[in-house]
Amino acid sequence: MALDYRKCAEEIAKYIGGGSNVISAAHCATRLRLVIADNSKIDKKALEDVEGVKGMFESNGQLQLIIGTGTVNKVYDEFLAVTGVSAATKADVKAAAASKMPWWKKILKTPGDIFVPILPAIVASGLMMGIVEAIPKFAPAFGNTGWFAFLDLVANTAFALLPVLVAISAARVFGGNVFLAAVIGLMMVHPALLNAWNAGSVQQVAVFFGKPLPLDAVQNAINGLSPELASQIPAGYLAMFDTSNGVSASVINSLPSDVANGIWGTLNSSLTVADIGGISKFMLFGSYGISQVGYQGHVIPVILAIFCMSKIEKFLHKVVPEMIDLFVTPLVTVVVTALLTFTIIGPVFSLLENYVLIGAKWLASTPYTSWIMGAIYPWTVFLGLHHMYNVIEAGMIAQTGLNTWMPIASAANFAQFGACLAVAVKVKNAKTKAVALPASLSASLGITEPAIFGVNYRFMKPFLCGMAGGAVGALFGALFKLGAPVYGVTGIPAIPAVNNIPLYLVELLISAGVAFVLTLFIWKEEKPEEKAKEPEPEKAPELPTVSVIRCAAGTVMQPVKGNVIAREAIPDDTFASGVLGDGVGIEPEDELVVAPFDGTISSVAESRHAIGIEANGMEMLIHVGVDTVNMQGDGFECLVKEGDEVKLGQPLIRFSREKIKAAGYSDTVAVLLTNSDDLEGVECGAK
Amino acid sequence: MKSFEYTITDPVGIHARPAGVLVKEIKKYASTVTVNKGEKSVNALKLMALMGMGIKQGDTIRVDVEGADEENAAAEIEAFFKANL
Repeated sequence: MALDYRKCAEEIAKYIGGGSNVISAAHCATRLRLVIADNSKIDKKALEDVEGVKGMFESNGQLQLIIGTGTVNKVYDEFLAVTGVSAATKADVKAAAASKMPWWKKILKTPGDIFVPILPAIVASGLMMGIVEAIPKFAPAFGNTGWFAFLDLVANTAFALLPVLVAISAARVFGGNVFLAAVIGLMMVHPALLNAWNAGSVQQVAVFFGKPLPLDAVQNAINGLSPELASQIPAGYLAMFDTSNGVSASVINSLPSDVANGIWGTLNSSLTVADIGGISKFMLFGSYGISQVGYQGHVIPVILAIFCMSKIEKFLHKVVPEMIDLFVTPLVTVVVTALLTFTIIGPVFSLLENYVLIGAKWLASTPYTSWIMGAIYPWTVFLGLHHMYNVIEAGMIAQTGLNTWMPIASAANFAQFGACLAVAVKVKNAKTKAVALPASLSASLGITEPAIFGVNYRFMKPFLCGMAGGAVGALFGALFKLGAPVYGVTGIPAIPAVNNIPLYLVELLISAGVAFVLTLFIWKEEKPEEKAKEPEPEKAPELPTVSVIRCAAGTVMQPVKGNVIAREAIPDDTFASGVLGDGVGIEPEDELVVAPFDGTISSVAESRHAIGIEANGMEMLIHVGVDTVNMQGDGFECLVKEGDEVKLGQPLIRFSREKIKAAGYSDTVAVLLTNSDDLEGVECGAK
Repeated sequence: MKSFEYTITDPVGIHARPAGVLVKEIKKYASTVTVNKGEKSVNALKLMALMGMGIKQGDTIRVDVEGADEENAAAEIEAFFKANL
């Protein structure tokens, strides 16, 4: 028979001395973990006999009840309901902290939140990719080995299929189904779509879509081959060309690979993707189609897609009748999200990409503007737009033989390395350190995503310091006309290729140095959120030391930290007039109301902003804010319930001053003895 | 004993401020005033108990007035409810 969770919880509550004896309650996979105020109230024998409790022991100041996987969470929920104890989990505290943030901060924070869980994957891959791709630059022979090909596959998996990881993590953040999100992520890198990294390459587009190439361009390319390569072209080859429809890519690839590569090299620089008819489209709405390009390496379009998906899914769960929900909701969610992604989010992004590309080209053209590119470069990495820069680099090499884009990108990337390294050096949090170090290494090899998403952007200031370093380094590189005849590499792996190695090293040093020093000085490690926001006052209540009301029946201690004002000064006529009894006002500096004396909770307002306590004939009302009843509980958390016995200093209500302010009310706390007329010798004021 | 029923129209119900003015009004009379909602009943002079009933807009309560001046008090208190709550 299934366990009666409610009954189990009620019995546990009974034998531990009631909800008021619980300081905090949490649970792990199998155990209910309780911190108990007075252990003498526990009836251990009875507890062990409760149906559902499989065992019991005390450890680390916790009373741990073994309940079992899958059941403990249900008993826990009931336990909270029965005892009125609030679940102060880390997640709650974090969520509460997040809900106080302005919207733009939440938006800025979201990519970081999504990236933190997938950091192990991208840090490992980034570092490995950097190393694997760097080796052939120093030892070209390695590039032709099976090891290289295999390691490259292992290393770039996470990056090539990044949208899948991002989609899953985003679904967890936005509350969507992770499997549906994985489908959307996979769809965005579907093998039937052209790899986004290849979208700028004439060769790749021609091969992938079987686009024919203009005859004259191919003939020019063949004519431009060195005599040695040209001699390898079989007799009668030119006769294979279909002069009416152009040359198919497979015809070129049928040549020996050196020859084919030579021809493609020329075609890549002499033609554009548009010249061969552009990327194929799925024709959906008349003449409007969507490009058959994937989203490899992209982040933001994926996050947007999963955000929409989660909203759609939640909406459908609400409106679709339960009987057909299981197949209708996932189906509609996937189809609608896919349409939105490929028809709106995707195209908007490719438009943006084009503008960024044009802008980047222009900025990189002179030393006087290249520093701007060095500064904003990391933002384009953040947006996943940096994969298109190969096009700019290839264009430069075709025109001048020198890739002057590389020093800009190197400066920007190396500056992120410097900033990330500074974080690694300065940070005390072991977890952050463990991420920052490999992330910075990977950045030095040209793979900056782990450093940007995992560290610098998350803390923001290192990211900005990195922008500064990138600007300085890019300016230096441009002034000294640094460049390389190759493309696709930055940072350390680019060293063997540059035209002036010593100056290039200076550039790297400047970029990283500026970012490192700035970060070291400007960035300060925030206190770990959980520790700062989880003061656990329940564990060690700080007893109030100031009394605010004294009378023959007892003393009322100050229930909220802050400035004590006269009752008459409370900004509300009813309180000020004394209709509700004599007392004081407090302008709070803190957000916690604690019990002003040992007593019994006589009433808790449904909207959680006011509480009554009785003891020894004193009837006390603590009312947080003026007119806050209209907030209907939003921003208030009541930690006790009617009938609870409370001790001096015990937390009663937690409230958000920010929310009270946002609602337009005064946050003055009224502390009133409602029956002061019946009490003798009432004296008010802080003492 | 005099009784009357009344349905609360104040949007916040009998919360701190309305409860305060109600207690003040009731103190004027010698009669004992009891507010009943469902099975719960409280002495209307006890502010905290009154607030603890959680009386909301739309709730119907019964008010019992018992004592020397109940005639007059009941009428006055009912008028007070209509005017303020």
